Amino acid sequence: MSRADIVVGIAGFQDAAAISRAVCVVDAGLAKYFPQYTAVIVNPAAGTHLLAVSHPPSGSAIRVIFQAAGRLRARACAVVDAGLGSLTPEWVDLLVRPVLHAGFDFVAPHYHRHKFDGAITNSIVYPLTRALYGYRVRPPTGGDFGISNHLLARCLERNDWESGAARYGSGVWITTIAVSEGFRICQSCLGAGWHAAIGSGAGLAAVLKHLAGTVFSLMEEYEPVWRRRNGSRDVDLFGRPLDLSIDPIEAGVEGMLRLFRNACTGLREIWALAMQPGVCREVLALASRASPEHFRLSDELWVRIIYDFACAHKNRSLDRGHLLGSLAPLYLARAASFMLETETLYSAGVEERIERLCRVYEELKPYLVANWTGTPIRPAVPSPVAARAPTSGDVSHAVDTA
Amino acid sequence: MLWTLRKIIEGAIDRLTEQLMTYLPPLLAAVVILAGAWITALLVRWIFQRIFKGIELDRWLRRTGISTMIDPTGRLKGARLVGQIVYWSILAVGFLTALNAFNTQLTSRMVERAVLLLPKAAGAVVIVLAGMWLAQYLGRGALVWAVNEEIPSPRRVAAGIRCLIMFAAVVVASDYLQFAEHVFLAAFILVVGAGALAGGLALGFCARDALTRYLAGQQSRAGQGAERSLWTHL
Repeated sequence: MSRADIVVGIAGFQDAAAISRAVCVVDAGLAKYFPQYTAVIVNPAAGTHLLAVSHPPSGSAIRVIFQAAGRLRARACAVVDAGLGSLTPEWVDLLVRPVLHAGFDFVAPHYHRHKFDGAITNSIVYPLTRALYGYRVRPPTGGDFGISNHLLARCLERNDWESGAARYGSGVWITTIAVSEGFRICQSCLGAGWHAAIGSGAGLAAVLKHLAGTVFSLMEEYEPVWRRRNGSRDVDLFGRPLDLSIDPIEAGVEGMLRLFRNACTGLREIWALAMQPGVCREVLALASRASPEHFRLSDELWVRIIYDFACAHKNRSLDRGHLLGSLAPLYLARAASFMLETETLYSAGVEERIERLCRVYEELKPYLVANWTGTPIRPAVPSPVAARAPTSGDVSHAVDTA
Repeated sequence: MLWTLRKIIEGAIDRLTEQLMTYLPPLLAAVVILAGAWITALLVRWIFQRIFKGIELDRWLRRTGISTMIDPTGRLKGARLVGQIVYWSILAVGFLTALNAFNTQLTSRMVERAVLLLPKAAGAVVIVLAGMWLAQYLGRGALVWAVNEEIPSPRRVAAGIRCLIMFAAVVVASDYLQFAEHVFLAAFILVVGAGALAGGLALGFCARDALTRYLAGQQSRAGQGAERSLWTHL
């Protein structure tokens, strides 16, 4: 076979049963929604399924899928994570159709998740990516996506496949390329997105290192882009957001706060190198201030922490692995604070809280720019995009306010 | 009687004059050399600080970790560092030249030894600096890991690693300088051996139960639904 219209890749290194199930589901999806098209399923975890593609020495599964799609000159490519237990045949339609029939270059997933689910995404990756590049793509970290041949070719041109982005950060990596380089982007409602596991033996620090590290690294590359952009806007949404019942998530808040308090003693010198003195003082003061029930890490302080870490990552104030590793206790403190604060809220209330956090990220962007460039903060000028009400369906590029 | 006293005083004055005539000119020369070296050092430091004022050197120092190793606040300026190195090097050369101006056996020997020792001393300094860098890097890594894994006393773990690496660096440096190398090596072997023995005994007699409890706690925590859901739903 030398050509195919659609390529669907099965990513995520899972057991044979999970991959076999994913292949069956994708096959059913292709047969149901795209019977008139030539389609190929690529499974890089076990060589390939239906197609012989050689593995790169240490490349990622995504790269193998993209190479296969490029070689087959596919018009649309979709990648699904075999680790997702909620994968259905409809996902194939939702990820492929916007590319094939609506001319989008990137279809990001939109999951229905528990209010405490995706805490890294909701507290760091989504608001930060949104504040930087001006698009509300949530989550920007999804392992399931659709992609056009143009964006695919652009990704294959890049030489940072061996970086940390390849493993956990592939979703945010591709999303950032798409939103920064002017590709057309939309989202598809995929329903529930519960993960079987985050990865074999992957600790929180490792996950944070890859996710936050990828965003921070891309900030350096796309600095001219994000410094020009202000505010944010929605992207087109395909499918209907479903109101599904989701397994509840319980978190050991006390354990998270215990780790944070211990870190305040252990990591204070490292934090002093990573954060501005005032921010560091506020963080250390939190350790002794409140009882666990009343523990709060405010939005503003949290955003300043993340912006300071981004600047420290850029300035290499200390080894990047150590820097991102030291972010884990702070993240846990923020997650604990958020959980305590939203314990009694329904999903809508939690969404409002996340939206509020996103706005703080956007409002404090001048703080980031000032620290990033080492220039004093100037009073922010309200931008037309920031002032505008969010409009669903508007997918034109975020306004560059040079 | 008076004649004798006069003779003694005249002799003392003569000897003093002779000594002054012997040592004063070289002393004055040494002072002039030192002053010259100091002025030159100030001037060269000023020039070097201007040459290396760019941010590239600072970036390199930050990337390599030398910046935070020398200045824990991480605000070390590369230009200042280069300036200080050049300043003190010129002062050291000036001091040796000034010492040489006395032209005595003692000073000549001192200068000769210093000159011979200088390359070795520089090598030893490099070894110690490399040890400091490695100690700081691994110490920080251990600290972050220990905090995130909730290992008891993470700062002590990190400090222990730092001390051990610094000690190893000093042993290597002393061996390179051939300065009491056997003493340092023996001390190092004793420390490491004693540490291993103490650790083994502690594990055997006392800490075994604590370690078992700790590992069991870790396992149960990993098995608890609440914790697992936290780690797997991020």
